[in-house]
Amino acid sequence: MNDKKLKDMWNKAETLLGASDYESSSIEQFISGRTNDTTKKIKTMIIFDLVLKALAVCALAVDFVLYFGTANIMAVTVAGVAILIPLIFMQNKLLNRFSEAADYGQTTRNKLASMLIYLKTKFFTTLLSVASTYLFGFIAGSLVYFYIVYGQVRPLDGIDIVVFITFILIGIGLNFVVNQGQVKYQIKHLETCLNDLNDKNLELVSENIELQRKRDRSNKILLALVLVLGILLLIIVFKNIGFIVK
Amino acid sequence: MKVLRSKKKEFSEMIEKHQAIIHKVTMVYTNGPADREDLFQEICLQLWRSYPNFREEAKFSTWMYRVALNTAISNVRKKNRDIHFEQLLDNDRMETEPSDEKEQIQLLYRAISKLNQIDKALILLWLDEKSYEEIASILGISKTNVSVKLVRIKRKLEEMIFTQE
Repeated sequence: MNDKKLKDMWNKAETLLGASDYESSSIEQFISGRTNDTTKKIKTMIIFDLVLKALAVCALAVDFVLYFGTANIMAVTVAGVAILIPLIFMQNKLLNRFSEAADYGQTTRNKLASMLIYLKTKFFTTLLSVASTYLFGFIAGSLVYFYIVYGQVRPLDGIDIVVFITFILIGIGLNFVVNQGQVKYQIKHLETCLNDLNDKNLELVSENIELQRKRDRSNKILLALVLVLGILLLIIVFKNIGFIVK
Repeated sequence: MKVLRSKKKEFSEMIEKHQAIIHKVTMVYTNGPADREDLFQEICLQLWRSYPNFREEAKFSTWMYRVALNTAISNVRKKNRDIHFEQLLDNDRMETEPSDEKEQIQLLYRAISKLNQIDKALILLWLDEKSYEEIASILGISKTNVSVKLVRIKRKLEEMIFTQE
C-alpha cells in the first residue's frame, strides 16, 4: 500500500495550489449573493405560487363584495376561496417538505435520497397545484377587470371560452414541460450518485418512492379534480350558465 | 437589519477561519480558477442558508464538510472535464519544484478527477485525515462501507498514479 505516499503527495499539492485566501469581507459579499441552484429555483416557484394563491383569494373576496347580490358570481367566488384555502395549506406543507429535502447540512446520503424522493413523488403534485393558480387567478382577475371596465360581467361567447381555456391549458402544459425538463437531468444525477454511494441505496430509495407515490395518488386525483372544477367555474362565470347576470 | 448584519459578519469570520475546507473541496470538484471561485461562492452561500439548522451536536468542521460536499456533488450544471493543470496549479510556485514532484501532483489530480462524485468525496476526506467514523457521519454510510470503498478507490488511484511513474 502506498497510503503514506498518496497523503504526502496530497499535502504537497495543497501547499502548491494557488487557492487565494478570502477575507471575511469577501465572504460576507458571497453570502449576500444570488444562486442559480435548482433547489432555489423550485423553492422560489413554490413561494411565488403561495403569494399568487393568497392574492387570488383576496381578489375573490373583493369580487364577492363587488358582485354582491349576483348569485352566480357570489357562488363562484365562495367556491374559489373554499378550494384555494386548502390548496394554500397543502402548498405550504409541500414547501416545508421541500425545505427539509433541500437542506445541505444533512448527510450526503440523506440529502440525495430526500431530494430524489421529492422530485419523483411531490414535484408533479407541486406543478399541479401551481397550475390551479392560473385558473383561479384568471377568474379572480377577470372579474375585477370586468367590474372596473363594464361594471358587470360581460358574458363571453363559445369561441372566447374555448380560446381562453386553450391558452390556460397551453400555459399549464408549457410549465410542466419546462420544469420537468429542468429536473430530469437532476433526477438522473441523483440516481447515479446514490448508486455510487452504496449499491443498495437506490433500491431502498426506489421502494420508498413507490410507497410515497401510492400515498400521494389521492392528492394528485384531488388536484386534477380541482383543475376540472376550475374550468367549470370559469365556464359558469363567463357563459352565465343557469344564473342571472347583473 | 443591524442584527442580521452582525450575524453575517460573525458567520463570515468563522468561515474565514475554516476556509481551507472549502478550498479542498473546490480543488477536487472543479476544473480551473473560474469554476473554483464560483463553487467557493456557492458553498459559502449554502453554508449561510443552512446555518440556522446547524446543531452543536456535530463538529463545525464536520458540518462544513457536509454542506460543502453536498453543494459540490449537487452542482450538476457544469459537466466534468479533464483538469487543466496549467490553470489549476500556481505556476510561480510550481516552477521552483522539481519536475518529478510536479508530475506526481499532476498525476494525483488527474487520477482524482477521473473518480465519480462520491469517490472524490471519500478520498478527499481520507486524504484530509478524517477518521472512518467521521467520513461515515458526513456521507451517511456505514463505517464498513467506507473502509471497503476506500480500499477500492486507493487501489484505483495507485494503479493510475504509480503504474505511470
